[in-house]
Amino acid sequence: MNILCRSRILVSSVCRKSSLIDQSAVPRCTSLIFKARCHRLAVNLSSCQQRWRYGACLKCPFESKRCYTDRGEGRLTERPEKLEDETEEVEDNRRFSEVFTLDVLISLLRQENAVDLCVIKVPDHIQYADYFIVVSGVSPRHLRAMALYAIKVFKFMRNHGEPHVKIEGKDAEDWMCVDFGKMVVHFMLPETREVYELEKLWTLRTYDEQLKKIPAETLPEDFIFDASEFTK
Amino acid sequence: MKVFHGFQKLSKFWRQITDLIFYLSSVSIATAAIQKMTRVRVVDNSSLGNTPYHRPPRVIHVYTKNGIGKVGDKVLLAIKGQKKKALIVGHKMPGDRMTPRFDSNNVVLIEDNGNPTGTRIKVPIPSSLRQMEGNYSKVLAIANTFV
Repeated sequence: MNILCRSRILVSSVCRKSSLIDQSAVPRCTSLIFKARCHRLAVNLSSCQQRWRYGACLKCPFESKRCYTDRGEGRLTERPEKLEDETEEVEDNRRFSEVFTLDVLISLLRQENAVDLCVIKVPDHIQYADYFIVVSGVSPRHLRAMALYAIKVFKFMRNHGEPHVKIEGKDAEDWMCVDFGKMVVHFMLPETREVYELEKLWTLRTYDEQLKKIPAETLPEDFIFDASEFTK
Repeated sequence: MKVFHGFQKLSKFWRQITDLIFYLSSVSIATAAIQKMTRVRVVDNSSLGNTPYHRPPRVIHVYTKNGIGKVGDKVLLAIKGQKKKALIVGHKMPGDRMTPRFDSNNVVLIEDNGNPTGTRIKVPIPSSLRQMEGNYSKVLAIANTFV
């Protein structure tokens, strides 16, 4: 990871140097100022991220410690990578980050006035996805619009061989689902969300209330274990 | 020479008889996973799937080109005197290599719009459902363990 970051910095500095050689001193000053600004911007961006992360945690209807700390842990490990991405973003001026990361998704959901955004970092031993996101919407039309916009942005940004993404549950009004490889987003109405309680399931895996309510499987009284059945 | 020729004809006759017998009988244990009239086990926590009834839920239609249902196919069940759609999440028949084989034909009840009827699934669900074409994310979202 470090090697990659260093190479990125090298490449960007080389590009800047080559541009400097071609042009005059004025752009040189502007590029230096730009560099200073971009560092500051990167810091600002990270602090903004922190702020909305806290905000998103508070907004999550199910406030579990586990939910927050999982996300916190996830965040801490990814911070140095994200900073590098951010600096590159700003340096390239018009071209934005080509990777459809979690931050991009969350920011676009907030832009769409998503209600009760909840991001859960899925632990590694569950090999399903990295992030599980549940979003509520005001109406079925709102959910559909959010899902379509997310896919639109994803299509704009995907360049590196990721397969196309489709909306699952298009004919269901109250629950739509989009699976971007590392992240899974569920768009539900508040009523549906209360029925299924996905956040509870994905934060407390086996200690979930609804799972505990399922009665344990009991063998019928006349059950006889016949070993010959298994050797057929 | 004549005796040998006669013997060949006789063996050919017996071969034809045995072929006919195999054609008429159903030696189809390995050819079908879930088809019409199979009894299935509902594995979610829906009330329809868990209330006892004097008849086990049976498949009455499989929504595939051939009438064979594998993991990820939709079927129509007859449960408690009503028709309900369901999704197959495991069968007794061995499938592809490195896919789980279950000891029972498991099924998850589904509404017509694709929403699962139950809210939790305790039984392990194959994680290969994610790569398959179809709307399985909702079922995977309510699953507890993956195999």
